[in-house]
Amino acid sequence: MKSILIIARRECGAYFGTPIAWIFIALQIAILSFFFFQFSPFFIIESADMRVWFGLTPFMLMVFAPAVTMRLWSEEMRTGTTEVLLSLPIRVTDLVIGKWLAALIVLLASVVCSFGIPLTIAWLAVSPVDWGPIIGGYIGTILSGMMFLALGCWVSALSRNQVVSLLVGVFVGIVLVLVLSPDFAMYLSGTYPAVSRVVESLGVQTHFRAIERGVLAISDVVYFLSGSLFFLALTVFQVEMKRQ
Amino acid sequence: MAMEPGQKAVVVANKTADDEPAIEATRLCRTFGAIVAVDDVSFEVGRGEILGFLGPNGAGKSTTLRMITGLLAADEGTAKICGIDVSHDPLGARQCFGYLPEAIPLYDEMQVDQYLRFIGNSRGLVGADLEQKLQDVCSRLGLEQMLRRYCGTLSKGFRQRVGLAQALIHDPQVLILDEPTNGLDPRQIIEVRQLIRELAQERAIIFSTHILQEIAAICTRIIVIHSGKLIADGTAEELAGEGSTGWEVVVSGDGISSEMCTGIGMTGGVPGAPGEVVHRWLSDTPPDLATLTLQIEGCGSSLIGVGQARETLEQVYLRLTAAEVVQ
Repeated sequence: MKSILIIARRECGAYFGTPIAWIFIALQIAILSFFFFQFSPFFIIESADMRVWFGLTPFMLMVFAPAVTMRLWSEEMRTGTTEVLLSLPIRVTDLVIGKWLAALIVLLASVVCSFGIPLTIAWLAVSPVDWGPIIGGYIGTILSGMMFLALGCWVSALSRNQVVSLLVGVFVGIVLVLVLSPDFAMYLSGTYPAVSRVVESLGVQTHFRAIERGVLAISDVVYFLSGSLFFLALTVFQVEMKRQ
Repeated sequence: MAMEPGQKAVVVANKTADDEPAIEATRLCRTFGAIVAVDDVSFEVGRGEILGFLGPNGAGKSTTLRMITGLLAADEGTAKICGIDVSHDPLGARQCFGYLPEAIPLYDEMQVDQYLRFIGNSRGLVGADLEQKLQDVCSRLGLEQMLRRYCGTLSKGFRQRVGLAQALIHDPQVLILDEPTNGLDPRQIIEVRQLIRELAQERAIIFSTHILQEIAAICTRIIVIHSGKLIADGTAEELAGEGSTGWEVVVSGDGISSEMCTGIGMTGGVPGAPGEVVHRWLSDTPPDLATLTLQIEGCGSSLIGVGQARETLEQVYLRLTAAEVVQ
């Protein structure tokens, strides 16, 4: 645990000591805020919810999570710092979790910075705010973020080129969000009902929407946690393979 | 000494009977696809030794070092650091050594003290112990004025020192340095050599290079690796002794002539520089000392010495690597 925190602290220093984390936070909030205030019926019917915000979140994470994590291993491999890192008496599992934890802290910082939106809604809205879906939306953001960041860690360990890592990460994210989507599952349900069920259960949107509605089912939490563990395990395997 | 395949070189310099080798490589092999990078390399290094790891570029030096550090798995064979097998207990083995990779990789966005504290923490150093070790290593390497500088802004020489500092901060018993003087200016090279000599007093050091002067200047023992194979192991004197180029007679004085030496089987005379009046003569067979002494004294010269002519390190290196190329 101590090793994980040492690595996470170093990576946080790299994120917050350089513009990376601040650009990520500012861009994510700016884009989501634009869409929220532009397309939400907030100012028309004074709806006191954040459905537009959280509806866009999986798509934002699909792009932004690999952008945050792309440097974690690719940069180390390119500059050769993995040579020193892997000669330290720290297990590869701890290295992987420490780096992922640092990326998660950046995401959490972005979540905290976005609290101004629900507070604004609560202040301006005439009707009482239903906090359940908003809290659910934030929990969904963190859980799906954990999985997207783990995915980003894995693709970062695949290549020493950060752009390649980003593109592969976005591609896998598109598969998880857009290909394995409820709409595609519905399209398949008539002809291939079994495939449709698999598509629906593997897609991010199905589980995210369920949590966003304010219903925190065990199956949805398990989906995101097991997805995170799966990609972290792949990352450990990928880093260990570099010794081979 | 030139090595037979699989033969392990055991050098006991500064080793006591109950002292196990600090580094022990046994029959290490590694291939990359069809390329055999390291083939059956075995050696031991004791404390107090500076082992020069010599070989041309691409000979397999870095691959061997990476296997010893556990950064690369060996296809066959074992590597032990302070008696700990790097594949069975990698964390234990890594605690025993400091490693300076060839490219001196540093985190450019970190300040020198942040970087060294990070490495120290990772190696289990905390609090006053960490601060003491940080101060010691920075003072030893002349980094006190550089602690607040970002690694990315350091000159090559200071990057090298910071790289050495991270390898030394936990006071390891074994130091593995991959071409540590590469790219340094002459003054920095001399400083690093001096530092390595000081560090070797209580440690085992492997020092990889392809620069012969480097090896001759600081190493107590040399291993030559070529095309992945260990082809020689010994001190510079031992390696030079193997490749005797014949017998050498050194004569002082003006009286001796080329004809006279040719007459007693000596050829290839090299006169001394003007004013020195020292001549060297070579022979394939041992000279007849009685005749030689009589003739030399007869013409008023004096015999300084007779002995086997030794190769220079350059000649040794070229001979060993050329022989392997022919094979």
